[in-house]
Amino acid sequence: MTLMTNVLQVLLLILLAPLVRGVISRIKARIQNRRGASVWRPYADVLKLFRKQDLVPASASFVFRLAPMVVFTTTLVVAAFVPLLHGSALLGVTGDFVLLVYLLALGRFFLMLGAMDGGSSFGGMGASREALVSTLAEAPFLLALMSVAIAAHTASIAGMVQWTMGQNFFQFSAVYALAFAALVLVAIAETGRIPVDNPTTHLELTMIHEAMVLEYSGPSLALIEWASAIKLTVVMALLIALFVPWGMASSVSALALGVASLVMLLKIAALVLALALVECSVAKLRMYLVPDFLGVASALAILAVVFTALMR
Amino acid sequence: MMLLAFNSFLVAMLSVPIVTLISHRWRKGRALPAALLMGSLVVGTAVAAVGFWRGQRFQVDISQVASFSFALSMDRLSAFFLLLICSVSLPVILFSSSYIPRHYSGARRHWLWVLLPLFLTSMVLVVTSSTPFAFLFGWELMTLFSAGLIVIDGDSKQRRHNIFIYLVMMHAGAAAVIGAFLLFLPHASNFAQMRDSAALMSPLLRTAVFLLAFAGFGTKAGIVPLHLWLPRAHPIAPSPVSALMSGVMLKTAVYGLVRFAFDFLGSGPSWWGYLVLFAGAVSGLLGVLYAIGEHDLKRLLAYHSVENIGIIYLGLGSALVFTANHSSVWAALALTAALLHCLNHAIFKSLLFLGAGAISDAAHTLDLEELGGLQKRMPLTGTVFLIACCSIVGLPLFNGFVSEWLTFRSFLAGSEMTNLSAAIVLPLAAGVLALIGGLAAACFAKVYGVGFLGRPRSGEAGRANEVSLPMQAGMGALATACVVIGIFPGLVLRSLGALTEELLPGAALPPEATSLTVVLPWIALFVLVLVGGFAGFKRAKKLTATWACGLPGLDERMQYTSPAFSKPLRKVFSRVYRAERTLEVVPGDPPYFPVSISYRSVRTTSFEKFLYRPGVDAIVTAALRLRRLQTGNIQIYLLYIFAALIALLMFMRWA
Amino acid sequence: MGLFETAAAKALASSGVFLFMTVLLIAAAKRISTCIALFSVQSLIITAQIIAVSRMHHSTEGFVIAGLVLSVKVIAIPYVLYRIVEELKAPRDVSSSTSSSQSVFIAAGLILLSFFAVRPYVGVLGGDQAMLAAAVALVLTGGFLMVSRKKALMQVVGLLVLDNGIFLAALTTTFGMPLVIEIGIVFDLLMGVFLMGLFVFRIRDTFDHLDVSKLRRLRG
Repeated sequence: MTLMTNVLQVLLLILLAPLVRGVISRIKARIQNRRGASVWRPYADVLKLFRKQDLVPASASFVFRLAPMVVFTTTLVVAAFVPLLHGSALLGVTGDFVLLVYLLALGRFFLMLGAMDGGSSFGGMGASREALVSTLAEAPFLLALMSVAIAAHTASIAGMVQWTMGQNFFQFSAVYALAFAALVLVAIAETGRIPVDNPTTHLELTMIHEAMVLEYSGPSLALIEWASAIKLTVVMALLIALFVPWGMASSVSALALGVASLVMLLKIAALVLALALVECSVAKLRMYLVPDFLGVASALAILAVVFTALMR
Repeated sequence: MMLLAFNSFLVAMLSVPIVTLISHRWRKGRALPAALLMGSLVVGTAVAAVGFWRGQRFQVDISQVASFSFALSMDRLSAFFLLLICSVSLPVILFSSSYIPRHYSGARRHWLWVLLPLFLTSMVLVVTSSTPFAFLFGWELMTLFSAGLIVIDGDSKQRRHNIFIYLVMMHAGAAAVIGAFLLFLPHASNFAQMRDSAALMSPLLRTAVFLLAFAGFGTKAGIVPLHLWLPRAHPIAPSPVSALMSGVMLKTAVYGLVRFAFDFLGSGPSWWGYLVLFAGAVSGLLGVLYAIGEHDLKRLLAYHSVENIGIIYLGLGSALVFTANHSSVWAALALTAALLHCLNHAIFKSLLFLGAGAISDAAHTLDLEELGGLQKRMPLTGTVFLIACCSIVGLPLFNGFVSEWLTFRSFLAGSEMTNLSAAIVLPLAAGVLALIGGLAAACFAKVYGVGFLGRPRSGEAGRANEVSLPMQAGMGALATACVVIGIFPGLVLRSLGALTEELLPGAALPPEATSLTVVLPWIALFVLVLVGGFAGFKRAKKLTATWACGLPGLDERMQYTSPAFSKPLRKVFSRVYRAERTLEVVPGDPPYFPVSISYRSVRTTSFEKFLYRPGVDAIVTAALRLRRLQTGNIQIYLLYIFAALIALLMFMRWA
Repeated sequence: MGLFETAAAKALASSGVFLFMTVLLIAAAKRISTCIALFSVQSLIITAQIIAVSRMHHSTEGFVIAGLVLSVKVIAIPYVLYRIVEELKAPRDVSSSTSSSQSVFIAAGLILLSFFAVRPYVGVLGGDQAMLAAAVALVLTGGFLMVSRKKALMQVVGLLVLDNGIFLAALTTTFGMPLVIEIGIVFDLLMGVFLMGLFVFRIRDTFDHLDVSKLRRLRG
């Protein structure tokens, strides 16, 4: 039963991810006084792309077609780390936060290579910028997760979530506000949202992720788009699971899981709304201000680690 | 049995030079040295493997016959490093067996086959010696033979200068190592004696021993700021020699430090650990930052050796902090991480240097700006190079990740210390390691992306062809090792646990260390099935031209270059580089169309400017002053001798 | 313990961390108006602390002080400063001599420094370590802001942050100063802000900019 729930969690994350994306763009459209596309549009996009043929630059090697598969696969593995409905996950017990961070890095590394294999200057430009952002995001990402791990005395993601669930909200130390803030900033950089990267832009001056995938088409592009939707949802679920897991099912029964999924939907909806609001009210940062943005995240994460070590 | 095998291994190694000199007259005997060397390395690997996995010990003592104490012995630590040396040099020699005849002829080839086995033997001597004399003998020979191997490639003025710097720094380091051994006098005839006497030393003396060993071995390992010789010596050596120097020789320095810090001295105050940790953090960060700025492949790889030694030192440092806080279980974890990273770095760095050799063999250049598109021209070399890149970056499913993961876990364990400074410093060191990892990823995305992907940037690269079969086989073997250790780390972890238990009594490897061995094979299986499934699923594919905004004529010069790729990072970390730029514009008429623009940017690291330059200047000034003693007048020299005699007599009488 | 007491204790325990966050954000902020808003938030947190402390010690004086701080530091001073910024129509950036991420790291360093500096005295002076450290950190970062920011208005903001630190130190160690003194300080501050505002206008009118680093030209 637990195993089935864990598999169910991964499937939910994978299948609901495009919807999350659709809802975000719909909300953004409403805020900007547009009607916006249907929330099911990302599904239609992925399906359409899967039916098309793959256009491959003549100069590209096998890395060009391998990269999207690696990106998609590693994102799937990461999805299996994050508890969604109850305090456990398929790989959440043995898989720890270092593995999670580095699996994401594996996908990103191959995406950068795939971008450079296209042989145009756009790919190199995107990869170079992604290298900057991801390099500087890695340290605060790891340190913020580390501060939670220190407090929970465990490195496994599920262990941390169960520890937080066991805490009374009022006894929950405010030090986690520091870790939470750091992780939110990192999550924005990691998933390429405003103000670090604009997922809807195609302007040379600003694009990062879009520049990397510019050369891709057909099923390869579908895999990349789907993977980035899953990544966004997984990072949101991770934030929820680590910092506000209350409401997850403590036992594996149909009723508890039903309630838990309802609560989880509400939490994700709240995050989605917050993200849409921020994206509509904040301008994208100039690229050389992104290090400042991530510098704030790093300082917060360092303080979080020091304070958890002190308060323990 | 073991003893016999080991002795025959040594004899076989030493016979290779003789065989080379005898056999070079016959055409058929050309392959003989390589075959003999590989055969003896197989024996050496077998001996080391048995010693490492089964923990067998033995000793070869020739002190009675030799009038000085000279003995070789093997415990698990020696066996591990012997395994590292033999198993990594085996594929390197296989690669060389085809590489050397293609690039060297006549006397230079014979010299290579004479010096290579001697160089390897000297390293074997270092890690198996059990007397200071044998250790220092091997240590000095290692430096000289490696310098000899560099000279084979030519001795222009620039190269001689670089070799000079290499030798000077190595001898300064060796002086410190000798000093560390001398402090054990009068109980310094063999290692066992030193181990016993170390416990009775005063804390001050122990600290002096540690600092001398740290400085001496640090010079060989190339920690910042003693790294100056690395980017000078490695790029000018023949590629297989660079592979051995960077992949294997640097590890003998780590062996020395581990032998001194953990075996002889046991444990010390925690500031030793913080010192090593700090050296590791600085070396790691600066190494990778300097590497990002390079576009000569071998210089770049040399700087990455500095980075990886930094990562190893991070592990060693945290192990020292743990032993100082009497928590040997976590110390075992950290030490295992450091030792495993030694092995991993030996494998993937040799592979990278061999890859560089293959590139220079095929494309006749190592400048990234002249490469590109090699993956299509050299599929196997490209693939193994990609595997090596993933390993050095520390991505999961490749071996570099396992050791970095263990280091991360030891840092996390640091937070469990009751000592507050350890509980704060160790977790923060994880941030440094993460930053190093991120920078390394950026650097190798650049190397592989610019060098192997996209379109060829020069005619040479466009005409490159796959290298010969033995070269492919050598690289393939190393790449296989990267993947196998990356997916099944349990193969080495268990024996490494036994090794650390020998060094740190009562320290079994904590169960957390093995959680990775459970989960990695499953992830690998999942990734393999899914990627295989996607790849097997035949998708309609159509070759097109790269999209060029609808315009014709996209050429290879429009691709992103290596400096362009690294520019954002270099700008963010501009304080590290301190480039001196000069821009000369000769204005034309009208001034908007200048006749010529020349731009020059020189990077000298601050170490050269502020640390070494004043030191060198001081030595040169002192030498000039001392020259006044040399008058050339024979009577003055007689006066010196006379004065020395008088001084000695007075010293004997009154001192 | 009733719900209110629990909440008050919780607010006290976590307010130190939230103060640290406002400090970091002020260091990171690029616009004067953001800094003013953050100062207002900071004063609001301190108001909450005063209420929590006086509730726990059953003092009615505390509520008066809280009301005073709320009206002056949370509302009046930020409002005046906003108006000055708007009236001036000068460039709105803080024009710092350190980059934004450098400032954040310096501020984080100052926070850690203050944390370790107050460690030995926590037992002697009483009070929560995080709060005492927050007080010292506010004083230090206030000083840092005054040193590193070139705009005259930012020096006012730095002074206000510094004053918040002194106020908090008094609150944590002796549960606040006597009412009369508090009232005096608060009004002093208000007058100070008005005066500084006047000066800022004078500087602008005479030199056409607000950059204090250029006042060097006044040397004879």
